[in-house]
Amino acid sequence: MLREDFVIQTNVRRILIRSNIDYSEINFGTVKGVVYIQGTFKVSSGAYIGGEEDLEGFMGKTLRSLELKIKGIPGVVDVNFQLGNWKKDMGKWSRAKPQE
Amino acid sequence: MEPGKTSGMKQRTIYRQILSEVQREIQIHPEYADLQNQFGLLLMGQGDGKAAERHFLKTLSLNPRYREARLNLAFLYMEMGRWKEAEGAFLLEARRDPKSGILHHALGVLYLQTGRRKEALAQIRRAAQVHPYYRGFYARREIWRQGSVHLDPKKEKAFKELHLNYHFAQFHNSVGLYLARKGRSNMAAKELEKAARLEPDEFLFHANLGTVYYHQGIYQKAIHEYKKALEMDPTYGMGYAYLSYTYGLLNRTREALRCMEKAVVLSPRYADLHYNLALLYSDRRKYKKAVAELRKALRINPQYLFARVNLAVLFEDQKKWKEARREYQRILQITPDNEDARKRLSRIS
Repeated sequence: MLREDFVIQTNVRRILIRSNIDYSEINFGTVKGVVYIQGTFKVSSGAYIGGEEDLEGFMGKTLRSLELKIKGIPGVVDVNFQLGNWKKDMGKWSRAKPQE
Repeated sequence: MEPGKTSGMKQRTIYRQILSEVQREIQIHPEYADLQNQFGLLLMGQGDGKAAERHFLKTLSLNPRYREARLNLAFLYMEMGRWKEAEGAFLLEARRDPKSGILHHALGVLYLQTGRRKEALAQIRRAAQVHPYYRGFYARREIWRQGSVHLDPKKEKAFKELHLNYHFAQFHNSVGLYLARKGRSNMAAKELEKAARLEPDEFLFHANLGTVYYHQGIYQKAIHEYKKALEMDPTYGMGYAYLSYTYGLLNRTREALRCMEKAVVLSPRYADLHYNLALLYSDRRKYKKAVAELRKALRINPQYLFARVNLAVLFEDQKKWKEARREYQRILQITPDNEDARKRLSRIS
């Protein structure tokens, strides 16, 4: 079903607002059903209370959940992440190594 | 224990908790005027007027043009019976903003309290003249009839107590905002509802309430509150933008478009609003208008990548290959490893 880009965009906004994500450094856009997420990925302070060793797993799961939620918006044909600090390889999210 | 008492105690515990949380934040950021003002309101809500006064004064020393802090201080002086200081603070703000209904209204109450009836009536008349809300407000209380003020002793007594609501409303608004920032939106909505009930004319309370309902996903209520806020302040551009986003979530894109058009007129410096308006136009195949809005967004923020992607795709739709290629090349200049832009460019090269 073809859905209007503006409607998709408002749904992405809603998902980010209602998530554990600190979206202050995240930009997003919609182009013909393709959603673009760009910036630095961080979780909100207080969203995670576990130890440092599990933080990466928690952040990976949060990203996966965000991706699924956005893909679940009617009319979304793809999600394109351009994050400076996280990347997806072979379907798995991991922290990106800082650029030299 | 009675249920009412339990919830009252719970409420007081929450207020105390917030008070100590804000106090900790102030220790970290003592020069943050918003925090000082908020702390003053919380102290006032706890009945500690002296400490509240210190924090409102501190706010004003950090930012002498902080209108809310001066009003908070002036209303506090009224409560303390320090009429001269209250009058000075209100008059200072009234000189800066002579068309503010609340300032003339407050001066009217103050002059009545101090027996200056003639001046009080002049201020009440002025409040009714400059702001339609006060005309309605006084008319409902039969104080304003056929263009003049009518105050009998009974009405005068009730009128003198009207200022008491102001502080409590500000207090609940402040607590509501704090809870909203902490993600406790149910409680935040309750506090903001209290604020709006106490001061139904204050546009900010309705705008804040609209935002909390929006975050909670209660969209009809959000629309209702944003509309109320906009009735009170039709120049509130971001109110139209939030209203537009809310209509978007309900698939009511015709209304979303109408609101976003008003938002960009009132707040033309927000690139994001131009971007959203461009989406609404391109969804309707109004390509020329969409391109114009994207260009405006890019003039404000030349690094706005999505605006450039949308622009390039719009050019592709219109088979303007040269323009489309130019936009993709610009994206690659900004983000050289942008694979998506590279793919799109190679497709039309």
